[in-house]
Amino acid sequence: MPDDRWLGQLVGDVRKGWIPAAIYSDPGVFEAEEERVFGRAWVFLAHESEIPEPGDYVVRRIVRDSFIVARDEYGEVRVLANVCRHRGMQVCRAERGNASHFRCPYHGWTYRNTGDLVGVPFHEDAYGGDREFPKSEFGLLSAPRVASYNGLVFASLDPGAPPLEEYLGGFRFYLDFYTRQSPAGLEVHGPQRWRIRANWKIGAENFCGDTYHTPYTHQSIAEIGLFGEHKPHKRKEGVLYFADRGGGTTYKLPPGGFADRLRSVGYPDGMIERMAQTWSREQRALVGEAGFMVSAATLFPNLSFVHNWPRVREGGPPVPFVSIRLWQPVGPDETEVYSWFAVDRLAPEEFKQDSYRSYLLSFGTSGMFEQDDVENWTSITAVAAGRWARGLRLHSRMGLSREGRLLREPLADWPGPGQAFQGFGEYNQRALLELWCRYLEGAREAVEV
Amino acid sequence: MSGVVQGEELVRVGSGDPDYHAAVDFLHQEAELLDARRWRDWLALLAEDVTYEMPVRVTRARTLEDSTLADMDHFREDRFALQKRVERLETEYAWTEDPPSRTRHFVTNVQVFRAASGDLVVKSYLLLFRSRGDTRPPEWVCGERTDRLRRTPEGLRLVHRRLVVDESVLRTQNLAIFL
Repeated sequence: MPDDRWLGQLVGDVRKGWIPAAIYSDPGVFEAEEERVFGRAWVFLAHESEIPEPGDYVVRRIVRDSFIVARDEYGEVRVLANVCRHRGMQVCRAERGNASHFRCPYHGWTYRNTGDLVGVPFHEDAYGGDREFPKSEFGLLSAPRVASYNGLVFASLDPGAPPLEEYLGGFRFYLDFYTRQSPAGLEVHGPQRWRIRANWKIGAENFCGDTYHTPYTHQSIAEIGLFGEHKPHKRKEGVLYFADRGGGTTYKLPPGGFADRLRSVGYPDGMIERMAQTWSREQRALVGEAGFMVSAATLFPNLSFVHNWPRVREGGPPVPFVSIRLWQPVGPDETEVYSWFAVDRLAPEEFKQDSYRSYLLSFGTSGMFEQDDVENWTSITAVAAGRWARGLRLHSRMGLSREGRLLREPLADWPGPGQAFQGFGEYNQRALLELWCRYLEGAREAVEV
Repeated sequence: MSGVVQGEELVRVGSGDPDYHAAVDFLHQEAELLDARRWRDWLALLAEDVTYEMPVRVTRARTLEDSTLADMDHFREDRFALQKRVERLETEYAWTEDPPSRTRHFVTNVQVFRAASGDLVVKSYLLLFRSRGDTRPPEWVCGERTDRLRRTPEGLRLVHRRLVVDESVLRTQNLAIFL
């Protein structure tokens, strides 16, 4: 673990928007993050629709700790530490499936998918039976805290973490645009999983507020006409919002009412009607009155969302998709990306098919947006490891004067919670890293930014 | 594999058969075009109604059956999608392939079957080597292809490709390449 004095210096620079490159490469910083960020925050593990039936499970990690996210025989979602209580063997070595029990291959201890220990070979001979070794005391451990919002299952390794809804705070308002387009909520498919040689924070920062990269990094997408209009240049008209634990980007929509504007990004009328019934007045106002649509977003620490609407056939209309992605840290210079396609459960089948194609073209392992993003992030990570370069302070002060004043005022009439600015600026990246600073400093109640 | 596969009767074509050699020649030629980044020529080898899919592979207990996801792919492409990817690589802004990867598509273990329609169904192993820049270690992607080749007056054309990759977690930075 790096000494607190050095961490204090890093945090001090980060707060000024001068990012020491070492935060993207240093093993000591990573170690501190594993303990203080990922050991305390609420971390996304799975969506409930990935495990619809009793017995369904997926195995996920919080950095290096493995958890089985299972739907038990009573339909309850469990997050069980994937660790045999005897000698610490993983009781599940598949990544998904359906099982009523998990059996440790080492000595055969067997657990029900509720976590209960139900089988110990030679229980009487080896342990003196239930009198000396009550099996009820040796079930698989649950993650210290488990909660879900709109079907998104989170866990926290900190028994004292605030309640999930409090943690999410105002960001819930924005989360609903991605995850609650009808009362039925999402179905998610995937994930695709791949490893990139990039620090986990760079993707998280990019998704939460980097509208400035779009016109350049993604120029190829504009050039091949994947969008109806030359969309990259529209990014400076978008609003950047940040509320409590997360923030994101938006696009300015063409004139019209709520339904017109949702039609302009390609939603069919049935879905629009359900959105109108499901979203609050303020949520509807963000689209229908203010005229914005959410695009990329990040929830601290490492869960991101993206919503975009390319075309999937020549000259065809835009087709919106939603993707959920997790920047799963592997090491200071390596991240495993989990990328899911998500769609409203009640969407028409034809829309689901087209939306899936829209996702595959743009994001994920083969996505034409994502490819060029990751190219930037791996390069930054490699540079940040240099003996000399790691001491450099990278510039994250867009939207601030030399003295640190805001160059533009936050919007006074923004219908959502948190702070919102129109135009380019690194407000959100600074807000996200401010949370990172507070966690590294040890604050648990870091809600107000 | 001879016999009935997914409701279709397929007859094995031995390695002495001209159809076997035609299929192997097709795969070798295709590999060369991809490694030389001659994508337009590659597109010309694809049928208009081509479908190109690469499902996500997962780790399951006990069996390799059912180890691809039915509802998630790395690729699920039609001609429009493949065409757009090629157009993008041809722009000056496809950063992830600038500088370009140096690739080798190794195609081996070829087995050829004839369908009643005359189409050839070709199974092969693919090992892709990808080297980029001068600092990173090379990346590999390994898998099995099942292709359907249609006879046309211009020669064989790829109608369908399904590539089952061996890794559940890809170790290559992206799939800005074709497999």
